[in-house]
Formats: sequence, C-alpha cells, structure tokens
Amino acid sequence: MAAAAVLLVSGLVYFPYAVRTPNGPKGSTGIGLAYGILGFSLMLFAMLLGLRKKYPAWRIGRGQDWMRGHLWFGLLSYPIILFHAGFSFGGSLTRVVMWLFTIVILSGIVGAAIQHFMPSVMTQRVPWETIYGQIDRVELQLLQEADELVASAVKIIPEPVSKPEHFSGVSAGVKAEVEGLKELQHVYEAQIRPYLKVRGNYDHELAGRTNARYLFEQLRLISAQELYEVIDDVKNICEEKRDLDRQSRLHRILHGWLFAHVPLSFALIILSVIHAVMALRF
Amino acid sequence: MSNQIQLTIDDQPVTVPEGTTIFDAARMNGIHIPVLCHQQNETPVAVCRLCVVDVKTRAFAAACFNKCEPGMTVKTDTPPVLAARKTIIELLASDHPSPCVRQQHSGDCELEAMAAQYGVAEPRYARGKLAKPQDDSSLSILVDHAACILCDRCVRACAEVRDNNVIARQGKGYSATIAFDLNASMGNSSCVSCGECMVSCPTGALTNKKIVGQHLGGESLQVQELLKLPVFKGVSGTFLELNHGAVVKRVFKKGEVLFREGDYGSTAFFILEGNVDIYLSSPRAHVTTEDADKSILSKLKSRLVPRKDHQRDEENLRRQYISIDAPVDLAYDNPVAQLGPGDLFGEMSCMSHYPRSATVRASTDVVALEMLRNVLDVLQKNKSFRAQLDMKYRQRALETHLLSVPIFSSLTHEFINQLRDRVELVRYGPGDVIFNQGDVADSFYLVRIGFVKVTEEHPGGEMVLAYLSKGNYFGEIGLLLGGVRTATCAALDHVEVVRIAAEDFNAMLENFPDIRESLQKVADERVAENQSRYKEVTSVSLNQFLKQGLMDAQSLLVLDLDRCTRCDLCVQACADTHDGVTRLIRDGLRFDNYLIATSCRQCRDPLCMIGCPVGSIRRRNSLEIIIEDWCIGCGACAESCPYGNINLHEFVVEGSPNPQATQKARVVRKATSCNLCHEHDEPSCVYACPHDAAHRVTPTTFFSQLMASRTSTGEPKA
Repeated sequence: MAAAAVLLVSGLVYFPYAVRTPNGPKGSTGIGLAYGILGFSLMLFAMLLGLRKKYPAWRIGRGQDWMRGHLWFGLLSYPIILFHAGFSFGGSLTRVVMWLFTIVILSGIVGAAIQHFMPSVMTQRVPWETIYGQIDRVELQLLQEADELVASAVKIIPEPVSKPEHFSGVSAGVKAEVEGLKELQHVYEAQIRPYLKVRGNYDHELAGRTNARYLFEQLRLISAQELYEVIDDVKNICEEKRDLDRQSRLHRILHGWLFAHVPLSFALIILSVIHAVMALRF
Repeated sequence: MSNQIQLTIDDQPVTVPEGTTIFDAARMNGIHIPVLCHQQNETPVAVCRLCVVDVKTRAFAAACFNKCEPGMTVKTDTPPVLAARKTIIELLASDHPSPCVRQQHSGDCELEAMAAQYGVAEPRYARGKLAKPQDDSSLSILVDHAACILCDRCVRACAEVRDNNVIARQGKGYSATIAFDLNASMGNSSCVSCGECMVSCPTGALTNKKIVGQHLGGESLQVQELLKLPVFKGVSGTFLELNHGAVVKRVFKKGEVLFREGDYGSTAFFILEGNVDIYLSSPRAHVTTEDADKSILSKLKSRLVPRKDHQRDEENLRRQYISIDAPVDLAYDNPVAQLGPGDLFGEMSCMSHYPRSATVRASTDVVALEMLRNVLDVLQKNKSFRAQLDMKYRQRALETHLLSVPIFSSLTHEFINQLRDRVELVRYGPGDVIFNQGDVADSFYLVRIGFVKVTEEHPGGEMVLAYLSKGNYFGEIGLLLGGVRTATCAALDHVEVVRIAAEDFNAMLENFPDIRESLQKVADERVAENQSRYKEVTSVSLNQFLKQGLMDAQSLLVLDLDRCTRCDLCVQACADTHDGVTRLIRDGLRFDNYLIATSCRQCRDPLCMIGCPVGSIRRRNSLEIIIEDWCIGCGACAESCPYGNINLHEFVVEGSPNPQATQKARVVRKATSCNLCHEHDEPSCVYACPHDAAHRVTPTTFFSQLMASRTSTGEPKA
C-alpha cells in the first residue's frame, strides 16, 4: 500500500513536472534530484534485507515485513529512478548504471517468481527431502548401506563347494542362484555403485527412473527369490539418491539466482554512489 | 531299627530297610537307573516315567516311587525297558528345544544328555505347535517355558526345600506350564530369587542370568563371608554362589569420589563403615535468554540465573528440597547431606539404569558393598533388610520427603511423628498397576523411587495424563472427589511409594485446612485440564495425524513447505537467540504440505520426564515443559525425548557447594528445550521467517481447520 501510494504521488508530481520543465525532466533539477534521492534511498532500503538476514534474531521488524518491503520498495525504486532520469539512460556511466539496475530488477522479479513457485514443486517432487547441507553425508550413508546389502547377499546365497566356474556337481537351481548373485554383484560394481558414489551424476543411466526400473526388473528376473529383498532395497536406495540429487538441483535453482542478484546489487549501489558524486561535483 | 527286606535287582541279591524305594535300593547297590523328575532331597512324584523297571507285573513300575517288597525281582535294563525309556525320551524331546539355553551355555541339560545316551537324535514325533514364551522379568533367573518338561522338580524345590511355595503348575494338557503365584511373571511374583528352582531344574527351563562383562573392581567376597554380614541374613547361599562377583567390598579413602552426578552406573552401594557426603555440584540456576540491555540491536544472551535473581511465574517457589536417589532429600539452599553405616544409595541407577542423581564423596575412610541389580533385588525382597531400610526411611527421610512437597510444607512435626509408624512403604515392579480407574479410593501415595504413569481410559483408548517421579504425589483426587479412582496409576519401572491410608489422609485434611484447600485446588485444576485435553484430542481424527503422534503435541512448529524456500533463517534465528545452540532443526515428518519441524512439541505424554534422576523436568500449569534449577545436565531427558527436541547447553561457572571441591571455573551442562522465546511476543524462528512459512500452532485446532478447508475445496485428505 505504501509503495503504491508513493508511486501514485510520484507519478502525479512527475507529469506536470515533465510537461512544464523547458528542456524536459532531468536529474539535475530540484525535483529530479529529489526523485534521485528517493530512488536511491529505496535501493538502499532494499539492500538492508541482506543485513537483516545476517541478524535474524534482532527484533527490528518481522522477517516477512522486511521481505515485503524489499520486494515492493525495490520494485518502486525503478520507476522513481526513471522519473529521476526523465526516462533517459543518459551518458556512458548512467547508461551502465541503468542497464545494471534493469538487470537487478529483472533478476529480482525472476527470483521472486522462482521462490514463489519452486517450493511447492520441491515439496511435490522430493518427498524425502533432507537438510541441504546434509545431502553429501546422507548419500555417503546410502552408499555404505548398499555396499552392506550386496555383501549380505553372499551370505544368503553361499558359494557352492565345487568349482564355481564349471558348476560341476551342482544342481541347476543352485547354478542359477549363483549366476544371479554374480550378476547382481557385477551390475552393482559396474553401474549402481558408480552412480551412488558421485553426487549429482545426472547423466548416468540410473538417474532416469525408467532406465532404473528396467535394470532392477532384469536383475529380479535372473536372481533367486531370496535376493528379491536385497534388490528391492538397493532399488529404493537408488530412488532415494535420485530424490536427493533432484533436491540439490531444485535447491540450486531456488537460491542460484541470488548469485547474480546480490553481487549486481552491490555493484549497482557502488556505481550509483559514483554517479551521484560525479553528478553533484561536476 | 526297621525291618530289612530282601529282593533281587538285575540278578543281584539286595537287602534294604523296609520302605526303601526301588530307585534308592538300586542306587545303594551301585545300579544306575536314569530319572529326570526325581532328586534325593525331594518327594518322588513319578511324572517323567524314565525310571521304569520290570518288576514282573502287568506294567512297568516307576522305580523312584514304588517301594521294595520282599522277594521282588527287578530288571532295570531289559530290551523292553530300554525301548520304553527311549520312547519316553523321544516324547519329551519332541516338546523341548534342542539345544536349550542350558545345553548351549554349559552343555549339561539332563534330557539332552540322556537323549544322546539313548541314541535319540531327532524325535520321531512332531514337535508341539503351541508357542511357549520366555519370562525375562526376574533379574536373576530366565524362565523358558518351551524347555520345561514339567518334571515338577522346581515346584518341590520351592515348596519342600525352601518353603517358599511360589511355584506350581497351571493349565492342562499341552498348555500346562509352571506358574508363579497366581500365574504372575516371575519378576513380579513373591519369588525371592533364592535360586533353588534353578539348581533343581534338569533342563534349560530355569537358568541363571549371568551378568556378562561386569567387572566391579572391588574385593570379591566368598559366600560364607557374605552370609556373616547382617545385611545378607536370610539370603540364599545358593543364590550368592551362583552370583559370585555380583557384590564386592569397596574401600574408599577420605575425599575419594564414589561417583558423580550424571554418570551412568548400574550398581547400588551399601555403607558398612564410614560416612559419605552426598551433594549436587551443579549450580541451582535455570537458563534464561534475554537482551542484556533490552535494546533492539543487542544480541540475545543465554545465561544461568539463580531463582533468587529471576523468579519464573510458573516455578514452584515453595520447594525446599530436591529429591535424589538416596534415603535423604537435599535442601534446595544447601544441597549437601551425609550418609553413614546401614545406608543404601544408588537404587534407581542400579535397578533402572538412570544416571546418578548426585555426587558422592567419602568424608571419612569408607567401606561399602557395591552390588549389581540381581543382588539388590534379592536384598530388597529380604524381609529383615526391608525392615531395616523402612525403619531408616521413617526415621530420617519421611519428614523431608513430605515437606519437599510444597502443598505439605505446613505439616507440623507432631503430625509427621504420628504418621511415621502408620505409613506403609510399598514396592511395585515395572508394569504393575497400583490402582485402576473406577477402583475405590482408599489411600494417598507419595512417590519415593521410580516413575508412575497416570492414564485415563476413554472410548477411543488410553490417554497419558502424567508421569510422576520422586517428590510427586497421586491418589488425592479419588479421596477428595467421591471416593472413586478417576485414573489408572501404574509403575513404569521399579517403583516404591509411601502409602498413606485414607483415614490418616482425612485426619491430615481436618487438622490442616490450608492443605485441604491447596489439594482441592490442584485436584480441580487437574480434572479441568484432563477434560479440556480430552475434548481437544477427540475433535480431530485422522489416521495420519494419529500415526505421527501429532495428537500428543500441544504446540507444533510447522513449516508451510509451499512457502518455505529452505533458507534456514528460522534455524539461524533460533541459534542466534540461544548462543549458537539451536533448539530447532528444519527436518522431521511431513503432514500434508507441512513439515513438523524438530522443536519441542510440549507433548501431552512427555516421555522426556521419564528418567530424570532429580525430577527437575516437569510440566508448567499450562502443560508446557519446564526445566527446574537443579537440573544436573545428565542428558537423560534428551535421550528420552523421541523427537530429539531437548539439547544440552554448556556454561562456564565457578565454585561448588562442596567445601572440599575445587573452586576453579568449570563447564556445566543444563538441558534446554524450545521455550517459545517467551520473553518476546513471538518465537524467533517465526519472527525471522521472511516467507510467512513458519508458524507455531495448536495442532488440533490447526489441523482440524486444515482438514475442514480441504474437505470444503474437495481436496483429498492427507
């Protein structure tokens, strides 16, 4: 409401000012300077959100109010600065400042949109979400768990006493069981373990749910019934890992835009100060 | 001299006194007849039938039971006799696990030895399908009903040898088993753990629970030495023999620490000579978090503040004594006491493995017995030892115990003296019901040792109202409001209560009107609270809601996952508010699109209260959890909380209440849980959230509204 009121008043002032000023509205006029000061103040206020986040326990206003102020006053600063500049991007420095400002505002709008929509996407797509900083540790635990499961399979289907390569003197059923076990161990070492070992690994064939399902179905087909539980557990581990990787990716999207927005905002403030000093001095 | 009779056993002429059994006659003449149900010191009952012999009659005769007759011809090892024995062994073995516990450990199961001797590898008969459980309730004896062959040796050992009459048979046919008292579990029966049944048992049905890996480190005493000590008067030598090493003599030099508060231990101590100081070294102060100078930019600081400097509204300011695991209570202002010869301490740690509640230091050279749980259990069942402990309690601790309950602080010494010989000390084992809802109220109880669970039955199930520890009381509502119990009280672990009969309780109320008034007020409050909680619990019913135990919470920190950007500002705000120690973790169970964050839920069934050795964690009147000043930082509450919502906060303090202790600065720990930032209008986590995702809610209201909105919009329920 406050931002809308400021915008309305600024707009109402601007039109007579723009019409009546002989050479058109400029930042160097009294009203233009006032717009500049107001716009820069709003930019500084928007920047204070970063400081507020550094000290979240301070009782200087609810976090939600600060966020709303950041969004609306930050957005408001753009038309005010346009009023200040008379909708002209000016010389080289001011042009750079204005383009930077535009990018900052756009990145902010994109970020706000991402932070508005992405949380529900993450909620739906990552049912077993964990704390982002713990993902490495959890994935390591999953790998260890899978290692132990596959190692335990050897105890379920013990090696036959006779030479395994020829299977001489061993019944057909036992041969099939041993073959299934060997295949499970081979697939685990060749495909599953490398997938579990590396965080992300989005190009791996197990990163795709359909491929993974096919692989585990094939494993079940050639394995003894006693191994189904192990195979299902390993499959679940892979699914959990896939969820965690998806969480990583969504988390990076959710917060990645800040890597552009925050440094550019700092640069904008610095250049704005330089612009102000240069304009007032010369 | 009795008449002699002559007979022939296996072609050998034998002369024995009249009345001698065939079994004894054979034994006296070096002829072995196998038997399982018979021992020399027990009356023969001839139930196993293994000792059958051929006496040239229509049927084989049981040698252990049948007496010799003049001219009798006995054959003990003819092929038909051996075949009959083998069949009996097969039948017995078909209902016996092989190898049984005894065979596994010591290889001397008599039945399995006999089976091997007769070449019975796998019985021809199908094994019994009826599952027979193990009874693990006794501290010293494991009962495996599946291994029991119903030979009755234990029954006769208990009745004839020891005159205890605890064991008998129950049931018929395949479901017949041995039973204790009126079919109670062994641990909850009147069994005194003498061990005679265990010694008599031929199989693994009754075996000694060995204390594996316990090295007490003192001087191990021989049975004869132990039996000479008055404290072991009446204790079974067999038991002590079987539990050699479970009680040791320890000598402590003056100034030596026996154990420290918060340590984990599994032994109790009985002082033979010398004195010890028992005290709390943790400062009596609670954790408070507030602005140092109250300015908006100042950083919040958690501090330890003694009660005299900062009184909390909800605190029990009249409490003068702190209950500990010893026969004395400690004064709040000067928590030091002395124990001397004949005192037993550390019972709760020993019986229920709670952390040590206080520090004990030898104030003179001390000789003490240190014992494990099974020995203490037997001592506590020993009548003379119990009488000695009871007398000491009545003389020394009853008064402080009563006065430690704020409501009774106005009782006079004269009245307590009257009560001294009238109160009764009653013990209960884990799970024992003290009284049931609906019973006639005939007594009032004070908890002396252990934890009591108070529950109320409702059509939807059982609701836990409270866990009561030492220093708490119960049973007053029934006495004050109509004489019928309004809730069920049961022992959660090894509990000892002081029982005051209704007559004495009423006399107390007559003599002390202020106590009546206070008790009536508390009773009314409790009844009103229970009713309001019941209404709340029944207002929402949803499977998932119940499965996650959310109905048990009173206040939840929920994060709306559709709004939460996972920025963790809530966690950071919590940590900043509490000196870097967060009381919140942004993880937990999901309900619908909400995350139930890991932060104190102010549970209705506050499991955190179970196990606090000094009873310092309790409810406020508003049912929120409060940690009292005398928390010793042992972490038992943090371990008991199923949701991981209690943390331990470290502080550097100086000094100690014990004059002999060091005055150097030291680190102490205090338990903390979310206090809802009660010094502010709103919890920091909620206040700091920039996305309006974090909310502290009353679960029943919040989720019923959520479900109502889901129903009205046609969305599926969680």
